[in-house]
Amino acid sequence: MIPTQFEYVAAKSLDEAITLLAKHKDNAKLLAGGHSLIPAMKLRLAQPQVLIDISRIKDLSYIKEDGGQIRIGAMTTHYQVESSALLKKICPLLPETATNLGDIQVRNRGTIGGSLAHSDPAADWPAAIIALNAEMVAAGPKGGRSISSDKFFVDLLTTALLPGEILQEIRITLPKGSLGQSYMKVRHPASGFAMVGVAVSLVLDAAGKCRTAGVGITGVGPKAYRAGGVESALSDAVMDAKTMMAAASHASDGVEANSDLAASAEYRKHLAEIYTRRALAAAAGRAK
Amino acid sequence: MKIEGFYQISASPERVFQALTDPAVLQKCIPGCQELEKTGENRYSAKLSAGVGSIKSVFTATIAMEDLVPPTHYKLVVEGKGQPGFLKGSGDLDLQQKNNGTELRYTGEVNIGGMLASVGQRMIQATANMMAGKFFKALEEETKAP
Repeated sequence: MIPTQFEYVAAKSLDEAITLLAKHKDNAKLLAGGHSLIPAMKLRLAQPQVLIDISRIKDLSYIKEDGGQIRIGAMTTHYQVESSALLKKICPLLPETATNLGDIQVRNRGTIGGSLAHSDPAADWPAAIIALNAEMVAAGPKGGRSISSDKFFVDLLTTALLPGEILQEIRITLPKGSLGQSYMKVRHPASGFAMVGVAVSLVLDAAGKCRTAGVGITGVGPKAYRAGGVESALSDAVMDAKTMMAAASHASDGVEANSDLAASAEYRKHLAEIYTRRALAAAAGRAK
Repeated sequence: MKIEGFYQISASPERVFQALTDPAVLQKCIPGCQELEKTGENRYSAKLSAGVGSIKSVFTATIAMEDLVPPTHYKLVVEGKGQPGFLKGSGDLDLQQKNNGTELRYTGEVNIGGMLASVGQRMIQATANMMAGKFFKALEEETKAP
């Protein structure tokens, strides 16, 4: 449980972190909250030579709303999201996801950006980020760029971030209308990770018909994914029990589910359907 | 743990089989393969830097090919050892002509021990699938060349 020797540098600004990353390249890893990287280092599964600590960069920790757009700094902790009065009011899916994440120690130190950039296949944030159609803003030596949530998660522990890039901000454009959101999760009994996690963000019109539906699912496959089959089954539909049940049956269409000691692939797919149905019902209930 | 899957490659079974038994091609196609040395008839030793994301480690492995029936079948036996644990695996590869190309099916059993097994268990299957995907994609590129 003792990591190999490494150098530690605390970056004071985003620019400094980008420069340090450009200097050390593949030998360096960015350290955010450290709740995935440090355990891996202690087990010597990861052996970076240089750690660039970006968790102390104050400019990367904020939650703002600006003209219908939510902007969250990458180094904002899970707890800051969980306890944000602003988010509870305008986008409750984010605090609800944070509440379900890890334990209080993890939420106090872990960051939303660190979790997203690590892209653990069972992390909670990716489901919410996909359901909300968020944009990931990355900063690099050549400037910034925006990556959509659908393109950001590439594969197991792999994101669209390029070597040398740092995730800077998460942007969410709030849809107008009657918003209903929910995150439902089956926790792994030991790790607290999602065996299955379903995030839903719905906008209903005055007649109770579904105008837009965002459904993100984590824990089932090698990466979190958009449940496109569920979303299209809800388009323009009245959110009754029958419709939601039929839509939820598409929860894991085309996904090769993980299988491990905690749950077989078949069981995971079953859970995905049941929890999608429950999350849809909860979200639709809140929209009214 | 069982692994299985199939992959379609647009080259003849003869070409694919030849590539699959060519150490130079294997070295290029096996993800993270740094060295591949012939140690005997159909036997090789390899050095692999394998992993995903920030999780990476160096493994030394022996690779043996058995029951060769060109160009339709062979059995691959791999034993690897590295700092975070060990793996032992064997699998059958079957090649079949299909749609002017080759359908390659693999089924096998992989056993993992040590730290890898105790902490990486929930990701091993997905890692194996990801690496198999990379391998076959690279193999497809290799067999495209004349």
